[in-house]
Parts: sequence; structure tokens; C-alpha cells
Amino acid sequence: MYQYTQVDQQLVNERVAQFRDQTRRFLAGDLPDDEYLALRLMNGLYVQRHAPMLRVAVPYGMMSSQQMRTLAHVARKWDKGYGHFTTRTNIQFNWPKLEDVPDILEELAKVQMHAIQTSGNCIRNTTTDQFAGVIADEIEDPRPYCEIIRQWSSLHPEFAYLPRKFKIAISGGPTDRAASQVHDIGLHIVKNDAGEVGFEVLVGGGLGRTPVIGKQIRPFLQKKDLLSYLEAIVRVYNLKGRRDNKYKARIKILVNALGVDAFRELVEAEWEQIKESDLQLTETEIERVQGFFKPFEYDASAANDSSLETKLAEDQSFAHWVRQNTVEHKVAGYRAVIVSLKAHLKPKGDISHQQMDLVADLADKYSFGEIRSTHNQNLVLADVRQQDLYELWQILEEANLARANINTLTDMTVCPGGDFCALANAKTLGIADQIDAKFEDLDYLYDLGEIKLNMSGCINACSHHHVGHIGILGVDKKGEDWYQITLGGSDGEDASLGKVIGKAVAADEVADTLAKVLSVFVEQRIEGERFIDCVRRIGLTPFKENVYAPAH
Amino acid sequence: MPLLINRELVDNDSWQLVGEEALENNELPAGDIIVPLAFYQENSDALINHDGEVAIQLTGDDEIDGVLENPSQFPLIAIFIPALRDGRAFSIARLLKRAGFKGQIRAIGDVSHDRLDFLTRCGFDALEIPADRFSDEVFNAFSEFSVRYQGCEDDSRPVYRQ
Repeated sequence: MYQYTQVDQQLVNERVAQFRDQTRRFLAGDLPDDEYLALRLMNGLYVQRHAPMLRVAVPYGMMSSQQMRTLAHVARKWDKGYGHFTTRTNIQFNWPKLEDVPDILEELAKVQMHAIQTSGNCIRNTTTDQFAGVIADEIEDPRPYCEIIRQWSSLHPEFAYLPRKFKIAISGGPTDRAASQVHDIGLHIVKNDAGEVGFEVLVGGGLGRTPVIGKQIRPFLQKKDLLSYLEAIVRVYNLKGRRDNKYKARIKILVNALGVDAFRELVEAEWEQIKESDLQLTETEIERVQGFFKPFEYDASAANDSSLETKLAEDQSFAHWVRQNTVEHKVAGYRAVIVSLKAHLKPKGDISHQQMDLVADLADKYSFGEIRSTHNQNLVLADVRQQDLYELWQILEEANLARANINTLTDMTVCPGGDFCALANAKTLGIADQIDAKFEDLDYLYDLGEIKLNMSGCINACSHHHVGHIGILGVDKKGEDWYQITLGGSDGEDASLGKVIGKAVAADEVADTLAKVLSVFVEQRIEGERFIDCVRRIGLTPFKENVYAPAH
Repeated sequence: MPLLINRELVDNDSWQLVGEEALENNELPAGDIIVPLAFYQENSDALINHDGEVAIQLTGDDEIDGVLENPSQFPLIAIFIPALRDGRAFSIARLLKRAGFKGQIRAIGDVSHDRLDFLTRCGFDALEIPADRFSDEVFNAFSEFSVRYQGCEDDSRPVYRQ
């Protein structure tokens, strides 16, 4: 993974010192509340229901074991012993003291970590495929471009005060595991007719109050033009995006208001002015950054392993885990392992400091010392020899990190909701527990097959409920929590927005309502059909009828 | 109001920003004045006879394509920042620079410590800081960072070309 140069380290150190000074001036009364608010947000610091919340950047989901140990240390020393992974692949600490934050940042800087632009109206952490570099279907590893974008977007002097937050995602190939179509900018690595690799550029996707699927503004962009094109888009947005209403300030609103063709003309005209400038990426720079993401020196004998077959035959629980929680690696004899942060009746995406330390140790022992976080709030050990899987599984199992539920109903993506978040309209954690309790039977979950359930505690849609196969949105009705259910969303290459099936259901009816939805699926599905495909085929009506049928 | 030019405090500024009342009554003070773009456009003929130099003030809402065609007709262009969160001024300054503007670009409005460095890098050479937001500490703003990733108006070379 990427290693800081002296410049990178200096920049992060100086940002810590700057933030320390900003906090000092705020506490001394020299910096008005409103101004400190904007500045602290740009450094990932929110003030939540109980305490400040610090969101630490995990650039495109990559962490070293050493960084994970530092996160564990932060959780122990300054928090209540745990952290929460987010859909931006970052990690949040829910209980730091404001005055401690500069010290936390200093500790993070020692291991090349920071909280730069994890919130605020600026360019956020670029996200990508959690299997980047190890999956056979990608055209090229997207991570070097994520890093190039990280550097370009970090403390960009022109783009620190955009109309609203700005999120970029890159997919490395035709299978989109980065939700790129619901980002302000989505980049797809593609190959053109001449065989050159570049980017398809989408703009104006997003969720929140007004969910929109991104629109293509350029079918092919050469690699050298990546930053100049992004700069052109963001400049047009910075100048033209609405600033009078924060609910209409995202780029998607501008793109829709102008129409994508008019927006494209503005961007292309701006780009003409700067494409030949110093912004043009050099071959040397691309190669330099790519050099940090070279394939590991894999064990050539790993493919000769026959122990896995035996273990799979002997141990059914292990076999389930391998089927659900591991993914084929492009190198024979290796697999990518998903470490489930979706334990039964535990807050989704949460991880204790002990688990962090353990995952760090496991990464060192089995996966070249690297860990990835996913936009579905799990972790990945991407390079594990298949002969090590059984041992790894046993250790993960022991640590409650091996629930074999990946891509099933209980692999829910869930924001912290009203229990923690000051923005939330409704709680989510209790509802997740209710769903866990109702659908505990793994055999039933396996029978249902792939289902993506996303639940957000408010319209801001941090958990991407619009693009869950099943989406749950918490709403407030006269002080009570109610839940609106959508079906048919997807954040993959077949991206679609879910549709609401009817009026919101009461808090104690959510799991029962899901059961009614799923019973329609079980009844109607064609052999082997996925839930999402069934919803698309039969439409919402049968689901509505069953959910809202008058009681007999 | 304290005014920094090229990162130094100056006290001999000749420019007067004309207030709304004076604009409405068309009672322009003698000497070098700054007027809003719209006022300038409506009164450009009369302003030729003004006793002193005339500069314009832009806001994020102004249509500035016309200005960008020939910015150097103005000795100074001020850009008004209505609120901390309004980042349009940064882009406007860069567009002026790209259009070849060599005169002074002055930031007025909500201008304070934590934006001074970025404003300077985007091409502002004059920063007018409200008195209640000014202290000697603001000069630290220019030395908080010794490294940077992006090229900008101060140096067009991004980190990979440095």
C-alpha cells in the first residue's frame, strides 16, 4: 500500500499543528462557534448527542496492521474501547473529548493517518472496490488513482468551501463494487477500442434527500487527464452549485437543473483551458504511485494445497463460511477473506479494540500485513493462502468476527442512528437487533440467497437505504420512530433506486414486515433467482399486497 | 479595516469601497473607488470622468464572462465573500488570473485567519480583514504549511512536478 513521502508526512503533521491551533483559538474564545464548526468538520470532528465524534480517514479503505493497532490504541485511550466503520470506509470514534482531538490526530499522524476532509463541504475520501488488485474481473487496479486523487483533493486551496460535500468513487472494472453510480463523481476504469485504459466519467449521482443515479459525461478519459478533468468538474460546481439551500446544493441538483448536456458543455469548455496545464499527470507519477500497489510475492506452492478440500468436506460450518465470507483471488491458491463486522445482535460495523488488535495480528500472519474496510462496513484480508483459511476461520470465529452471513439479509449496512447521531430522526440499532433475532437461522438466510439490506436513521442516507435491495429509512412521526421500506435498489453496475412499498411501519413491526416481504419472494421466485431480480421481474404489487393485506 | 497586501499590513490604502447609500444617490467620493460590477456596467460612461481610479467589486452571483474578456481594464478587482462557507471567490480569483489580470485582487467581506493562505494561493494579493477578526496571529496563517500537493496561482506545479 501507499507509504508517505516526506511531503505527505509533513503535510499531515502541519495539519495537526494547524488544527491544534484552531482548537486553541476556539477554546480561548478567539474563533467564533460557527467558524470553528466549519473548520472542525473539515477535520472530521462532529459534536454528537453524547460527545464529539471523530471520523478518521481510511483512504480507499486501505490500512496497514500498524495503523489498525493505532486505531485500537485510540479506542482504548481516548474512547470507550471501540470504533465504527462507515460506508465511506472510514472509522468513527464516538466518545473523544474535544480538547483531546489534537493529541489523537498527532498519534494518528505517526502512522500516516489523518482526519482530513472526512466531513464538511469539501472533497471526501475517495472509495473503491474492496477487492482492488486481487480480483480477476478488474481491468486495472484503481487504488493508484485513488491515491492520486487523495493528494490532489487534500487541502486543495480552491475547493475547501464547496456548496456541499463531494464524494468520488472508482470502480476498477465492469463489476461495480464501489457504488460508483451514486457518487458525485463515479469513475469506471475502461478500455477503449484502441485498447487504451482510461476512465468513463459519471457525474451527479447521490443519495440523501434526492437520490439520483449518476450520468455519463465522458465515455473515455485518458489517465493523464484525470486531475484536469476532475478539477474542471469541481470548478464548475464550485461556481454554479446552489448555495441558497443546503438541500439543493449537491452537484446532482445542478446537473439536473442544467441538464447533463449543458453541464457537460461547461465542463468541457473549462477543461479545454486546463487540460494541457501542469495538472496533466505524468507517466512517472502514475508509475511511482502504481509502484506502491504491486502484487505481493505470492507463495507459488499455495495452489498445490489439498487441505482445504478435506476441511470443507469435514466441517460444514467452515464450508458455509468459505462459501459466504471468502472470494476468489486472481492468484491460484489464495482467497480474499471478509471479516464480518455483522455479528449477531451487535451494532453493525462496530469493532472493539481487542478485535482491532487481533485483526492486525491476523493480517500480519496471513495477509501481508494489510487490511481493507468495505463500504458495507466489513473488513477484508485480501491475500490469504487457502491452506491457512481453516486456522484463520477458527481464530475469527473465536473473536466473533466470522459470522457466515456476508451478502445475506443480516449483513446489514446500518448507520449508528438516533442512539448516537444528532442528525438522525429514528433509532436503527434496536431495529437491526430485531432483524437479527427474527432471522437468526442461517439455513433460511442461505436459502434466501443474496440480499442487501441497508438501513438509515434519517433522510441523509448514510447507509444508502435507497440502493439496498431492501431499504429501511427511519422517520419521525410525532416523536415516534417509524420505518419506511423500499424494495428494488442496487448500488452495483445495475444501479437502481428502491421504491417505497407503502406507509411506514411501527418500530416493533419491522422484522415481521420483512418476513412478509420475504415470504412473497420465496413463493414467487424462479429456481436460483436472486431477491433483487425477483423484485424487478414481478414488481412491487405482490409485496405491497402481502404486507398491507387487511388482517383476517 | 486592517488590510494586508502581499502578506504585510499596510496603512496607506487609497481605495474606498463605495457604500450602498452613496451608490443609490450616485454620490461618489473623489479619489480611487471600488463599485459593484452592476453599478459599473450601468454607469460606465459617467465613470470615465470620475476624479480618481475606478475598480469593481465582484460577488459570486455576478456573471463575469464579460469581465474575464478584458480584466486588465481595471486596476483592482475586489471579490466580496458574503460568508465563511461561500467558496466561489477562490475560483473567481483563479479565473481572473488565468484571464491575464495583473492588477490587485482584493478579498473583502468574511475574511479571516483560516482562509488567508488559500486565498493567497488562489491569487488574492490583498486581504481586508474585519477589525474584530484581526490580531497579530493572522500572520501565522501564511506559514502553517510548508508543503502542498496542488499547483495554484502561486506556483502552477503540483507536487509531482516540483
